[in-house]
Amino acid sequence: MALPLPPGVTQNEVAFLAEMELVTVVPRQRLESIDLLGGRTPTLRPPHRADLPLWLALLLKKQRRANILPPPWLHPSSLAEIILRETKERPAEFSDPPPPAARASLARPGEAAAAHHHHDAHEVLLSPPFRPSSCTADAPAGYLPFHWLEVAEALLAHAGDDVAGVGASAGEVRGLLRDLVEVRAAKMRSSTSQLEGFGGGLMSLRGVGAMELAESRGFVLAVVDGVRKIGASVEAARREEEEDGGGEGAESDEEMGI
Amino acid sequence: MSYYDIDSILTDAEKIPCTFQVGIPDLGYLDNTPSQPLKAGTKVSLPLWLAEMLAIANTGDIEGKSFVAFDLPPALGNDVIQALKADPRAVPLRDQSAHFYGLATHMMELSEEQELGAVLRKTFVTRASEIALHARKVGGVGHKKEDASNLGIGGAGEEFLRGLDEWERRLFRQAHEGAKAGKQWMENIKRS
Repeated sequence: MALPLPPGVTQNEVAFLAEMELVTVVPRQRLESIDLLGGRTPTLRPPHRADLPLWLALLLKKQRRANILPPPWLHPSSLAEIILRETKERPAEFSDPPPPAARASLARPGEAAAAHHHHDAHEVLLSPPFRPSSCTADAPAGYLPFHWLEVAEALLAHAGDDVAGVGASAGEVRGLLRDLVEVRAAKMRSSTSQLEGFGGGLMSLRGVGAMELAESRGFVLAVVDGVRKIGASVEAARREEEEDGGGEGAESDEEMGI
Repeated sequence: MSYYDIDSILTDAEKIPCTFQVGIPDLGYLDNTPSQPLKAGTKVSLPLWLAEMLAIANTGDIEGKSFVAFDLPPALGNDVIQALKADPRAVPLRDQSAHFYGLATHMMELSEEQELGAVLRKTFVTRASEIALHARKVGGVGHKKEDASNLGIGGAGEEFLRGLDEWERRLFRQAHEGAKAGKQWMENIKRS
């Protein structure tokens, strides 16, 4: 009541968070390293690639000071492969999140060269939302990272010509993305039927992206809550049966008498 | 559920058919026969909150019978349940009761109907995915005519949406808000 906002992060917040994802750029101009809250950005020297946060990359792109290399999973062939997997090969589930990288990317801001050699010793295996370099040029093709929709949309909107660079039009990529969004939205809807049977009240949301979660959060929560309420009385009866093997029934009835 | 939850209050006002087990003086006006006692065996429709209290209350001395025995309301009658079993999507639940699920869960607490729970659960999840589909398609922000009609959601969809009960309407609203915010974001990203 007090808080008018729905629970969970909203779409705009998700899009904002996604701007922290690293993307690979090919700079056109030199740029000294910038000291940011999240760490120092690498020094940009024109022919060398570097990984920058998405927001900075988009800024440089708008100023025509860099070109963005789209991540491999945004390539039309990769998207087509994912769509095929989602529709034909495993139509019942979302495709897997990207596998853990063998080694974390070294070009990460905040990882100074001195720091990274002893960084290896206690390397932590990160789960999807916190995985670095899932949107850089080193990301594996054929897997959707957590922020796939946000990053893809931002790149298409502001760096369409770069996305189109590798022998495919931005329109083609956009079309494939639309298909993918629709396929996965339909899957999200039908996944409610997993709640049908008693006992099996589980929905697997593995591999679902941040934006999709933000979109379906209200709906999924409402469905789960509804199923819980419908099952509540049956559940209560079952639990009562389990706890007392009868005998107590008469006593409690008497208590309720007026 | 909050004390002031309006849906819960309205659910409690749903009428359910009751049969009086004992005769009660001065209650004849419930059966349109004022000035006479209410005879045992009279069928009267009572609101849920009253029927519940009367059914649970133990009279103690009168042969151990409770005041009333209640049946399932027509909204949860056999024909409705059979129809739901056949195709959950085809039944306009709102015509049965605006608070169908609320009523049903309440009745399940009072009478142990195992089968009803299973049918309701199946109905709810099956209709939920249908609701989400409509919520996604029905007039979003900047929605073009041809987008809206490409899944054949016109007259039929409207009819389905009119048949939603309160729980399902809430579901629809939630799903629609999500889809709407998603669309808004997608439009904004091109402008910013």
